[in-house]
Amino acid sequence: MEKENMRQPNWASSTFGMEIQPNELNYAPDQLTNCFFNPNWDNSVDQSDPFESALSSIVSSPAASNASAIPGGGGDGLMIRELIGRLGSICNSGDISPQNYIAGHNKNNNSTNTSCYSTPLNSPPKLNLSMMDSQIRRNLTIPGNHPSLAPFSPDPGFAERAAKFSCFVSNTSFMGLNETELPYRLMPRVESGKLSRAASNQSLKLATGSQMGVQENNRSSPQESNLAADKKLSRLSRSSTPENAELGDSREGSTVSEQIPGGEVSNKVDTETNCRKRKSIPRGKAKETLSLTTPSAKDSKVALDNDESNAKRSKQDEDAGNEKDAAKGKTEPKTAGDVNQKQNKDNSKPLEPPKDYIHVRARRGQATDSHSLAERVRREKISERMKFLQDLVPGCNKVTGKAVMLDEIINYVQSLQRQVEFLSMKLSTVNPRMDLNMDALLSKDIFQSRGALPHTLYPIDSAMPVFPFGYQHQQVPSLHGGIANGTENQFPVNSLNAALRRNPGAQLPPIDGFGEATPEVSALWEDDLQSVVQMAFAQNKQQSFHGSMAAAQMKVEL
Amino acid sequence: MTPKGVTLNTNSHKIKFARRFIRTLLKMRKNAPSSSSIEEIRKRSQRIKIAAYSSMAHAVGSRRAWSRAILFKLRNRARHHGMMRRRSMKKRVIKNDPPGDQSQTNKLRQLVPGGKAMDMCSLLEETAHYIRSLSTQVKVMQTIADHFSK
Repeated sequence: MEKENMRQPNWASSTFGMEIQPNELNYAPDQLTNCFFNPNWDNSVDQSDPFESALSSIVSSPAASNASAIPGGGGDGLMIRELIGRLGSICNSGDISPQNYIAGHNKNNNSTNTSCYSTPLNSPPKLNLSMMDSQIRRNLTIPGNHPSLAPFSPDPGFAERAAKFSCFVSNTSFMGLNETELPYRLMPRVESGKLSRAASNQSLKLATGSQMGVQENNRSSPQESNLAADKKLSRLSRSSTPENAELGDSREGSTVSEQIPGGEVSNKVDTETNCRKRKSIPRGKAKETLSLTTPSAKDSKVALDNDESNAKRSKQDEDAGNEKDAAKGKTEPKTAGDVNQKQNKDNSKPLEPPKDYIHVRARRGQATDSHSLAERVRREKISERMKFLQDLVPGCNKVTGKAVMLDEIINYVQSLQRQVEFLSMKLSTVNPRMDLNMDALLSKDIFQSRGALPHTLYPIDSAMPVFPFGYQHQQVPSLHGGIANGTENQFPVNSLNAALRRNPGAQLPPIDGFGEATPEVSALWEDDLQSVVQMAFAQNKQQSFHGSMAAAQMKVEL
Repeated sequence: MTPKGVTLNTNSHKIKFARRFIRTLLKMRKNAPSSSSIEEIRKRSQRIKIAAYSSMAHAVGSRRAWSRAILFKLRNRARHHGMMRRRSMKKRVIKNDPPGDQSQTNKLRQLVPGGKAMDMCSLLEETAHYIRSLSTQVKVMQTIADHFSK
């Protein structure tokens, strides 16, 4: 006792620091031995909890499962055998394991342990919650140790997970007690657990899981060759389909109404690495399955000393837990993904949401809840549209700030609409003047026939900013005035200026390829210009820099 | 990079719009002989404007929300024209009054046809498309006007 108490702070510090694994692993056996010898289980549980949390956090809980599986191999023949079967199951089903354990301990003549045991099993989540939370969070915050777990730290369901963790830890700690003889086993398994962890693919995990099972069998076999058969049996029962479980235990079947076909998958996955699943499972069990199964489980345990029965029971319990998890899984999308993987056969539908969440990733320091994610997406969309509008609206390039840009856009739209209005006015005034229907038709035909050609050039025009239109605005009334009053002396200047200003942007590119493009080009800008420039040329015959072209066109037009 | 559908096929839209607009203009001229009274001119300009918008909306088709809104309005207007005429002017004036608060977004909503029912994202998208088609429209009308007024 005293020794343990002495060690406790030391231990805690080491786990908190989350130093390298070997250290912890080295510590582990000592701690475990202490725990093992210690009659007072509560203390040992408490001590082992931090250790377990550390282990699980480091190795991301495969270690825990492994560790739990391992202890069976380490102890006495009987103990080991039973424990292997049960512990494996325990690893999968955190809450149920205690019962199995109890049975095992009864066999081992550890009656005192069982009594102490039962309390921690039920209590651990509440008791250890705060402690575990702090520990796990600290572990998580350390960047290098937990890449996989780190993203989940902000998750609201974390507290629950922590609770599960603690529960789990309590279970595994018992395993650790048995494990004293086999420190070296921990190492390789932990590593393998890591490897499997690293492999994100579910199938890979499954494969590794099966491999792990084989490994366990192999490792345990040298020491207990005679027990290997039993272990394998237990393995099989564990990994076997629910039908086997049902066949093995009619009683258990009665207690557990449903057995999920994917139970085997879940078992394997659980044993390997997924801390999340494990977390989710114990929760489900802790709430309801425990209460349901405990009486029957105890009875069966007392009555049945077979490993298989325990394993099956644990499996069934797991299944029940999985079902409940599925119901709860929707609340927590991240855990739901794992649960769904287990139950992919039953309902693959909830598998989708996690993908959606993954689709939009929050950068460091950004909020991760769905609302803010959606809001961020919306803002990005808006800014993208704004950028596009910026290209579209002239004079918007230099403007910064959404409000000013909106102002610009509004002004531009308004100006365009005003232009339309003005042009319709102009057309309405122009129409009566056009007495020559034939001529108008002809011109329209010309326009349409030309239309096909010049339109190819229009994009260039569209790139031009508004101000030419503005100029046209100012021009047109003057044009009308000029026509009406016959004051032509000012007119040429204005019109020429307008023409010059309007043309360069639109005209220059075609002019470069002038040789063959001439007729279309001239046609194009003639339409725009001729009405304005025509008068000037008619009187003055001045040559602007494109005057020759204009003149040629004018003859055609005239 | 540009949002889907905002880049309108300018050429085809322009040709469609020009054809339609000129046809309506010719029809208008044939139906209503020239008269130089101010009232007549105003009415005619109003009609030409409507013709321009409707032909643009037809050219764009019902793919965009703003053109859909214009077409819907035109259809409703045509259907309820008689009823509208019979109704008192007072009601229409009230109806035409813009709502009180004038944030920029609301202003933009009022400018872009059918913008009242849009969220910000689609409003900006529609605005982009609307601006492009408006500028095309202006260009074509300018060309026609220049052509006529020579």
